[in-house]
Amino acid sequence: MTNPKADLLQGTLDMLILKALSLGPLHGYGIIQRIRRMSDEMLTVEQGALYPALYRIELKGWISGKWGQNETGRKAKFYKLTLAGQKQLRLEEESWDRLVLVVAKMREAT
Amino acid sequence: MRWLNVLIARLRALLSRDKVLHDIDEELRAHLEMEVEANREMGMTPEEARLSAAKSFGNLGSIRDLAYEVRGGGFMETVWQDLRYSARMLFKHRGFTIIAVLTLALGIGANTAIFSIVNAVLLRPFPYQAPEQLVIVGEYVPGGSVSYPNFVDWRDDRNVFESASAVRSNESYNFSGAGEPERLQGRLVSAGFLTLLGVKPLVGRDFLPEDDRPGAAPAVMLSYGFWGRTFGNDPNIIGKTITLNNQSYTVTAITPQDFEFGLPADVTIPIGLSAERFKARGADPGISVVARLKPNVSQQQAETELNVVYKRLEQHYPATNTGRRGVLMPLHENFVGSVRQPLLILFGAVGLVLLIACANVANLLLVRASTRKREMSVRVALGANRWRIIRQLLTESLLLASIGGVLGVLLAQWGTSFIASQLPDSIPRLAEANVELRVLMFTLGVSVVTGLLFGLAPALQASRLNLTEALKEGDRGSVGRHKLRNVLVVSEVALTLTLLVGAGLLIQSFRRVLQVDPGFETQNLLTMQVSVNNPDGNQVASFFKQLQENVRSLPGVKSVAISNGLPLRGANHPVFFIQGRPLPEPGKAPGGIRYTVSPDYFQTMGIELIKGRVFGSQDTPSTPPVVVIDEALAQHFPNEDPIGQRLSQSASGGPIYEIVGVVRHVEQYNLEGQAVRTPQFYLNFNQVPAERWPGLVRRINLLTRTDVEPTGLAAAVRGQIAALNKDQAVFNVRTMEQIVSESVAPRRFSMLLLAVFAVVALALAVIGIYGMLSYAVAQRTREIGLRMTLGAQRTDVMRLVIGHGMKLAVAGVVAGLIASFALTRTMRSLLFGVSATDPITFASITLLLAVVALLACWLPARRATKVDPMVALRYE
Repeated sequence: MTNPKADLLQGTLDMLILKALSLGPLHGYGIIQRIRRMSDEMLTVEQGALYPALYRIELKGWISGKWGQNETGRKAKFYKLTLAGQKQLRLEEESWDRLVLVVAKMREAT
Repeated sequence: MRWLNVLIARLRALLSRDKVLHDIDEELRAHLEMEVEANREMGMTPEEARLSAAKSFGNLGSIRDLAYEVRGGGFMETVWQDLRYSARMLFKHRGFTIIAVLTLALGIGANTAIFSIVNAVLLRPFPYQAPEQLVIVGEYVPGGSVSYPNFVDWRDDRNVFESASAVRSNESYNFSGAGEPERLQGRLVSAGFLTLLGVKPLVGRDFLPEDDRPGAAPAVMLSYGFWGRTFGNDPNIIGKTITLNNQSYTVTAITPQDFEFGLPADVTIPIGLSAERFKARGADPGISVVARLKPNVSQQQAETELNVVYKRLEQHYPATNTGRRGVLMPLHENFVGSVRQPLLILFGAVGLVLLIACANVANLLLVRASTRKREMSVRVALGANRWRIIRQLLTESLLLASIGGVLGVLLAQWGTSFIASQLPDSIPRLAEANVELRVLMFTLGVSVVTGLLFGLAPALQASRLNLTEALKEGDRGSVGRHKLRNVLVVSEVALTLTLLVGAGLLIQSFRRVLQVDPGFETQNLLTMQVSVNNPDGNQVASFFKQLQENVRSLPGVKSVAISNGLPLRGANHPVFFIQGRPLPEPGKAPGGIRYTVSPDYFQTMGIELIKGRVFGSQDTPSTPPVVVIDEALAQHFPNEDPIGQRLSQSASGGPIYEIVGVVRHVEQYNLEGQAVRTPQFYLNFNQVPAERWPGLVRRINLLTRTDVEPTGLAAAVRGQIAALNKDQAVFNVRTMEQIVSESVAPRRFSMLLLAVFAVVALALAVIGIYGMLSYAVAQRTREIGLRMTLGAQRTDVMRLVIGHGMKLAVAGVVAGLIASFALTRTMRSLLFGVSATDPITFASITLLLAVVALLACWLPARRATKVDPMVALRYE
């Protein structure tokens, strides 16, 4: 449980999901597609990782899910960012930026 | 707020598991469909699109499970899953399960049974209103008898108590209802007795002051039990009369079903009716007083106030009241004070048994943990974390403990009633002992604690495994595990030794008590009691004369006597005065126990004559009154011959008795004697004037000395009584050996119970040592084989194994001896004729335990020597 590597990855996935949803409510399949597009096809989130993460984030109250219909009229569960989720996304982006900055500085130093 | 979300999710998952799962399924399926659609759009055939989507999705089931766990299904699901898994494991290893469950059931059951007794007798509040305000007033000593006139003098003094009532238990009445005459237990009380206790009669009313005086219309309250069995719970009995001792009493009330106060009583009667009987201020009439303290007045304050009154009484009646003072004790203390310590000691002992049981089960679990190592490793390899493993193992332990607890409760149901039936009647409130809610809560708590106690250490051990090492076959167990097992065995031995020493001391005490010479011959002596209510003294005297003659003529009867008291049963307690000596200061006259007996009493009882003579045919109502004294009274004549000296029972006036003989002292209350022996003296029934007979024969013992087994003659003797008077009630038919046995019943009981606990503990400890060594031998087979190949002899192997076992046993014995020295002190008051650190007991118990431990070591050691080196080296 206290594996730092896992935490990092999980935290990152959470941020990606929040980021994807910040562009508008979406269902699980759409989130995967959107993350792929946003990352220029470089990141593929597995379904097996996505859904547990979605439910976990939902429990934390950052997103909320609601059944609706997709563009082809199919029934699907749409998730949308809550206020707490928006705040969380900002926090995570900031800390991520900080991390990137620190790492970049360290790399420049060598 | 987050925890609230989690909790709601968990509850929802638990309560509507299907709905949550369905929700997840729907969502995943929608996802899959969208994927398929996208694939079709990219130009795949429907078949290809579906396959590709399914492939990219991976294992749908595990995603679903993972998702479900996140959505709160995890916790409760896991508990349930663990439980099912545990049940399967326990079922699979039935041998282990049965042994563990039985061990636990025994331990928990015994604890539950003893606790239900402790609960009923010590913990449950008395069914009175504000029982903590109730006190028992005694004169001289706590709980001592109170003189009735003194009581009447301070009863109405409102400075002292809210209210007070005299109580005299152990009265008896002949009840002649429709059928056979029946003997009833009675109790005398003052007006307002029930009101004082805060008990409402079931029907009817409490006694009023006008019922409670000489010459009042006789009133009676019936107990619920008597009312039910005799009058079929007929409420119309109120106002009707019943006949007790040939006198009519009007029924005024029925006491509630759960009402009790001291000794059981079928009928309760106002004491004021017999005030005449208790009019002597200097007497000790066996009356105790229950009183309610005034609000916000402490017991000490009340006692001080009471003794202000006693000071005044002392000035008014110096002859009888000098030095007399009132002493208070809490009601609770009065009723259960004497049984508290034995019960608590038994409770402690049974707790030790449970600890030993825990140690044994923990040991079993440790053995099993090593055989399950691979199972654990596989689970860890599959991703279970340490906490998960511990949780699984603890679930198993708790399940075991719960099954043990349920069986234990069943065992306790039976055990409680068995123990209650074996305990002497003198222990109050025992009848109420049962497995009630509080007891069940106790059992639940004990089971959980037990499960954690024996499960935690093995679980922690088992979960601390090194994956790569454990997955390899043939691991030899970690050092830590051995250390834990050793600690368990050592503590088992130590606890067992402590219990054995405690039981040994009680057994020693019991033997000493039985060796006490009671001062008379207990074999072949039949006793029974008759109570005669007939105001005609001549008729009474001739009835007893005729009765003794008739019984004496029965075959098998050697001699017959009557007496108004019995050894080991208590008797009258008057004072006596030696003639020719200065009058003792008021209140300082020596007290003695007075028996009135027929001349054959000494011969019938087998009481040895030391000096002079016993009563004979020369003593008649017209000759000077004579008295026989015992050795204790003879010590009042240190430098003179007591024969020929004279005694009286009153400082002035009354008959003067000449001492004609000295006999052995007999034990009066129990075989355990008293620090100072109370003198005894005997008066002769044949010298009692006819008019005094009716007052003497309220309770007469008829004693029959036989040369055959005495119980066989009981019917014949009763037949003789019925032949003389068919309405004569006979009760308490006992052999003297039974009376002796009853007098040691409390002691025998605690001894037996502690002995049983100790034996169970010993058995558990033996199993513990044996199991531990057997396992160690099995684990060390290869090492032993190697040693033997390298030239070790069988004796060396024996020494190795036995040395291992005995090292632990000795450590346990040393720890146990230290614990025993500390603990047996607490049971000092239960011991008789043996010290709490009796070296013989300590030594013999140590020896016993050492021998038993050696045996337990020897069997595995022998098995070790049978190891075939070649086989052992190829082993595994």
